[in-house]
Amino acid sequence: MKKLISAALAASLALSLTACGGNAAPAATEAAKDAAPAATEAAKETAAPAASEDPIRVCVVYTGSLGDKSYNDSCNEGAQKAVADFGIELKSLEGTTAEEWESNLLAACEDGYDLIIGASSNIADYITEHGPNYPDTKFAVIDTTVDLPNVQSISFAQNEGSFLAGAAAAMFTQKTDIPGVNEDAIIGWVGGMDIPVLHDFFTGYEQGAKYINPDIQILQAFAGEWSNPLKGKELTFAQYDQGADIVMNVASGTGTGILEGAKEKGLYAIGVDLNQDADQPGAVLTSMVKRVDTACYLTIQSVVEDTFAGGTTQYLALKEGGVSLTDFAVMKEHLGDKFPQDIVDKCEELAQKIAAGEIVVENYEGFGPAK
Amino acid sequence: MGAIFENLDKIINVSLIYATFRSATPIIFAALCAAITQQANILNVGTEGIMLVGAFTAVAVSYFTGSWVAGVAAAMLAGVLIAMIIGIGHIKYGADNCAIGMGVNMLALALTKFCLNVIFGMNGSFSSPDIQPIPRIKLEFLKDVPIIGEIFCNWSIMEWVVIVLIFALQYLFYKTVWGLRLRAVGQFPVAAKTAGINVNKIKYQAVAFAGMIGGLAGAHLSLGYSTQFVENMTSNRGFMGVAAMYFGGANPVLTTVGCLLFGFADSVGARLQAYGIPSQFVLMMPYIVTIAVLAISMAIKISTTKKRQSSLN
Repeated sequence: MKKLISAALAASLALSLTACGGNAAPAATEAAKDAAPAATEAAKETAAPAASEDPIRVCVVYTGSLGDKSYNDSCNEGAQKAVADFGIELKSLEGTTAEEWESNLLAACEDGYDLIIGASSNIADYITEHGPNYPDTKFAVIDTTVDLPNVQSISFAQNEGSFLAGAAAAMFTQKTDIPGVNEDAIIGWVGGMDIPVLHDFFTGYEQGAKYINPDIQILQAFAGEWSNPLKGKELTFAQYDQGADIVMNVASGTGTGILEGAKEKGLYAIGVDLNQDADQPGAVLTSMVKRVDTACYLTIQSVVEDTFAGGTTQYLALKEGGVSLTDFAVMKEHLGDKFPQDIVDKCEELAQKIAAGEIVVENYEGFGPAK
Repeated sequence: MGAIFENLDKIINVSLIYATFRSATPIIFAALCAAITQQANILNVGTEGIMLVGAFTAVAVSYFTGSWVAGVAAAMLAGVLIAMIIGIGHIKYGADNCAIGMGVNMLALALTKFCLNVIFGMNGSFSSPDIQPIPRIKLEFLKDVPIIGEIFCNWSIMEWVVIVLIFALQYLFYKTVWGLRLRAVGQFPVAAKTAGINVNKIKYQAVAFAGMIGGLAGAHLSLGYSTQFVENMTSNRGFMGVAAMYFGGANPVLTTVGCLLFGFADSVGARLQAYGIPSQFVLMMPYIVTIAVLAISMAIKISTTKKRQSSLN
């Protein structure tokens, strides 16, 4: 019996190995094929202007994983565009726990990159702590401000974009002729980790919703993690059970579960960071797009073109196109005649008012344009 | 605080019952996986890793074959393979359970990350409309019955399976010859050997069986509870399962009670957050419950042992 089991084990192991190999081989060669022309092109491009200099080496330290179809993927899109345009050398370090973030950052510092981008505000403390020890390394941090001479910061007016999302949700929850929308004026909001940036989102969301309906009730919850979709799903179900019919997610990888939960229940959600409208077609009303890709690209560009200015903060607001809502196209197609066009019109009107300064959206403490 | 009492009907209501069971189901599977080997006196620290490999295999096979049945079957097989690392390491080579279990957990995390990248070219997560999920059972005839309809009418197949499994294991452990041998092997291997039981054979069988259940737990996470694979998607559910197994002393029904406690803490927490309870406190609840549950079960164990000893004297 023992011999039988071990024979069976060995056989299945061998099988699974060959299966893996079978899949791996073409994938690897394909990747190599893709990489080869890209690399030579890149080499040509950099070779022309910079005359045989080594490419600029950039490292992006993520506080989460790629594949979240949200914040991190958006940042990576910007970085990949910079690779295509400038021929830089790019390294991405992912990590899900605070210990990993710090050790990844330190590894990048020790590795002598020209530019190290901290992809989110989670990493700001570590840059504040270790940045001064590497005065010759250029750092950038997205989504928050670090006041050091070798750190360039880019942050967003997520409160302004969320104001529009809140207003859209507050109008949507009144459209009881749309399937699934109930009588109650209750909307939901589920965040990833309980950090200040997310409160800046929520501040805008709440103000926008109350601008439409002062009596509206807004449910708030945090998952405490960036990559736990099942937790996100449970929190969303809990808010649906409590009368919400639309829930905004600001939760990176946790958010995929929120959108899936909306689809499963036949209810609605709002996407974030990237355009998530088509991720669960018919369940995502709109997405609050935050141009993390632009921020990442601009930072790399500033190093390539030698305009990097440490100690400065850029603030990308609605006016500058740093945040916006999507065009509702996927939902329009899904609902057909029932689609409430007035929401889109009203949101456009509100966006113009915010850009013109007629509506001032409040910030959470410590956010907003530099004074 | 006032808001909580005003909204009590929205926190404690009928939907909480299914929510509790829904979030407890993955932990129940994990706890049953740990209970089987525990009966043979093998602490299954690797439950988390077995589940994670099962979850990945289920998604991958369901995606390529378009059949959830194949996905679930493959997940169970993968679970057995991974569990056999523990089995062979511990039974044949006498490796320490905790060390080899943690090793398996780390291996599973790295292996699934690697395969996700090699097979699908993805980082972090994989989802696709081509993944066939495990269907849900819609009980139309119950739909209009108040309360019962709301609780039972839309369960995933796996949620029914887990209930059957709890009682099947209860029967297997305490009413069958194999169960008696299993417990004998776990409690007093020398006596079992004297009675002519092949101790190692029973242990290998227990590990393989646990691997199947662990694989099933993973398949439920990635094909039933959701339709995607995300890195480390088990999020300590395996460890919570082991804790619940301790609470129930590896008795399937009592173990399930422990799991339901976790599910309840989680679901009430999700509802409480909306009313101004700090999220940090709410997110702490499952872990506080874990510690409380273990403390209570240990206290009960100590007092019963004392009682037994005093009745002997």
